[in-house]
Amino acid sequence: MSLNLIYNFQTSQNLDGDFRPASYCVVYFFSDDGFLDNALLKEMSKTVPDADHERLTFLNLDDLKTFAVRVCQEVSQQNVRLISIQDYNIGLDGAKDLQSYQTIFSKYGEMVQSESAKKKGLFGKIFS
Amino acid sequence: MSYVEDSPNRNDPVRPGEQWFFYWKTSASLWESRILQFAPTEVVFIPVNWGFHAESASEWDFGRIHPERDFKRLTQLLTQHGRKYCFLLPLTPAPFLPNGGVPVSSARTLSISRDGSHLAVLDQESNLNKMFSFFEPKVFQSFAHFVKKFGAFLSENKIHSQIWGAQFYFHQDRHKHSFIDERSIAFEQGFSRYLKQNHPEGTDLTDPKAESLLKETFTDEVASLFKTTAESSLGPYWAGVQKIVTLGGSPKETILRSLPSGKSQLEYTKDLFYHFIHQDWISSSLLNAAEKKETLSWILKEHFGSREIDQRYNYQAYSGDLSSEFRPFGVIDLFDSKNQKHFDKLGLTSFLNRHFRWLYQSHEELYFTPSSIDINQHKIKFFHGRNLDRTTFSQILKLFMMGQRILLDTTGLPDGLDKKLQIFLLENNLKSQSVNFMTTTHICELGEGRLILFEGKRLIENPAREKFWANIFKYFHLVQPEMQMDDDVFSMWRIRATSPHELSFLDVRRVNIYNPTSYKKVVSIKTHKHFAFMKMIDPTRASAKSTPEGVDVELLPNGKIALDFGHYEET
Repeated sequence: MSLNLIYNFQTSQNLDGDFRPASYCVVYFFSDDGFLDNALLKEMSKTVPDADHERLTFLNLDDLKTFAVRVCQEVSQQNVRLISIQDYNIGLDGAKDLQSYQTIFSKYGEMVQSESAKKKGLFGKIFS
Repeated sequence: MSYVEDSPNRNDPVRPGEQWFFYWKTSASLWESRILQFAPTEVVFIPVNWGFHAESASEWDFGRIHPERDFKRLTQLLTQHGRKYCFLLPLTPAPFLPNGGVPVSSARTLSISRDGSHLAVLDQESNLNKMFSFFEPKVFQSFAHFVKKFGAFLSENKIHSQIWGAQFYFHQDRHKHSFIDERSIAFEQGFSRYLKQNHPEGTDLTDPKAESLLKETFTDEVASLFKTTAESSLGPYWAGVQKIVTLGGSPKETILRSLPSGKSQLEYTKDLFYHFIHQDWISSSLLNAAEKKETLSWILKEHFGSREIDQRYNYQAYSGDLSSEFRPFGVIDLFDSKNQKHFDKLGLTSFLNRHFRWLYQSHEELYFTPSSIDINQHKIKFFHGRNLDRTTFSQILKLFMMGQRILLDTTGLPDGLDKKLQIFLLENNLKSQSVNFMTTTHICELGEGRLILFEGKRLIENPAREKFWANIFKYFHLVQPEMQMDDDVFSMWRIRATSPHELSFLDVRRVNIYNPTSYKKVVSIKTHKHFAFMKMIDPTRASAKSTPEGVDVELLPNGKIALDFGHYEET
C-alpha cells in the first residue's frame, strides 16, 4: 500500500483580524484504499505543536514531514510520498489517461521514510 | 472508431447514460443502429461537442468535411425513426469532453480548482479530460462564433430541435461547484479587468471575504454571459438551462477513481441521495460499467430514469391528482438560498434526517406555477425570512390562503415585509395563537392553511432544539411508516392512486430499499395502524416478513427490495 500527501503553500492572510501565517496545507492525503479519515489526520497533527489542527496547516516543510511520518506510523506504513500541488499539476499536464495519471504518484514528489522503516533497513543490513 | 455492442456489463461510450448520445464516439455509418437501441419513447439527448466541430479557429464544420459532424444527417435519422430529440449545449467546461469542449485553437489556460490543482476528470474510457478556462477571452470569442454558426446552420437546414443549455457541476465535500468556477491566471487577469471596469475608483481587497464575494460575482457574470450569448443566437430553439452534476467529476473523485479501491458503491449511493434531496439533476456519463454496477444502476434506473428525465426537461408533467403510476413522494420542502444551509444551523435538517429521511427536499427558489402548486399542495414548506423578496413573500402568503402549511423563520425578515405581514394578518382578520417554547412561535389558521411564524435565531445555540421540531411535527400529525435502519441503508418513497379493487385505501406507497454495503442489514418498518403491507416486489438478495408492528426486511450485501403499503385512515 502506498501513502500520498498532496500539499499546497499558502501565503499569510489576515481574516477579520485573525492573522494566519504563511503555511503548508494538506490538500489530499490518501492510500490505495482511499482518503484517510480527517479525524485521524487532525489527531495526528496534534503531535506537531505549532500546527493548525483544524485546518491541517504547518508552519514549515519539516513540520509537514513530521506529521506525514506520524500518520505513516499510525497506519503501519513504511513510507509516504509528499507531492506539492505544483508537481501534481505538472504531472497532470503530462498525463492523458488513467495509466499515465497513476504514474504521478510514483514519479513526482519526495518519498519520506518512517523511522521504523529506517530501523528495519539497518536490521536488513545486519542480517544480509 | 469501433462499434461497441450494447450490453449492461460493458462500457458504452456512445450511450453513456441518461439517454445521452455521444455522436462523435462512433462512426456516422453506425448512427442509425445506435439510435435504434434507444427505446422508442425515450427522448434522445445530443450533447454538443463544440470543439469537435472546429475545422480551424474561425471555421465550423457541421458535416461538410467530416461525416461524424453531420448534424443534418443525424437529425434526419432521428426524425426518420420517429425519435424525439434535443441538443445539450455546454455553457461551462464539460467534463466528458476533451479540453472540456474547448476547441484546440482556444485551449490555452488550464482551469485551476479552489484547492490549487488543475481540473482534470477521468471519463468512462479512462481518458483524462483536462478542463480549460472559460475566462480566457479567446474561448468566449470562439463560443460566440460557434453558437452563431450553429444557429444559422439549424435555421438553413430547417432543423426544428430544442436546445438546452447545460451548466456542469461537480460535487465535493457536500458542496456543488460549477466547472466554470476556477482560479487560473486567465481568471485572475479577467477579474483584474472586471475590477477596473466596474470599480474605476478602486476596490479595497484587503478583506479576503470581500474579495471572495467579488470573485463569485465576477464568475456568475461570466457564466451568465455564456448563457445569454447562446440564448440570443439560438433564440428560436432555446428551451432553457439545466444544471447537471456529473458523478465522479470532482478533483477528489479523480484521485479516488484512479486508486485500486476506486470509489465505493456506498459513496456513490450517498451522493445520489444527496442530489435527490437537493433537487440536483445528475449525469453518470463519466462512470464505467464497473462503477455503475448493481446498486448504482438500480437507483439510476428507478429514480433518475426515463420518467424523471421527462419531468426534468418538461416533456411531461405530473398532474395535481395522483395517477396509477408511481411518482416520487416527499412531505417537506425547504427553501434556502444557495450555500446558506440555514436550516442545518437550526437543527431542522438533522431532525428530518432522523425522522423523515429522504422525505424532504431542499430548493434554492420557489416555483410558483399552477402545476407545481398543485403537485406540492400536501408538502409542509419552510422559508427563511432573510432570503425573501416581495414577490416570493406574496407567493408564500397566497400558498397559505390556498390551504398550504407554511413555516416562516422571521429572523432577518426585511422591515417592509414585516409590515406587509402585519397588514396581511389585520386585513384578513387572522388571530394568531402564541406559544413560547424555546422561541416565540405564532400559529395562524385559515381553513386548511397554517402559517407558523417563529424566531429561528433563538434555536441556533439551543442544544435541546430537537424538542422544538418534535413538537412542530407532532402538531402537523404527519402520517408516515417509521423506518428503523442503519445510516448505510437507503430508501426512497413513491406514491400512486389506488386502483378500483384497492378502494379501501387512500393511496398506495412504495418504498425501495437498497443496501450498497458489503454487510448484511436489517430494516424494521412500523406501520403505526395507518398502513397495510400489500406485497414485496423484485427482491434481490433480500427478504421480508410481516410482523404485528409492520414488516421486517433482511438485506444481504448489495441487496434491494421494494414494498407496497396501502394507506388508510385510522378507524
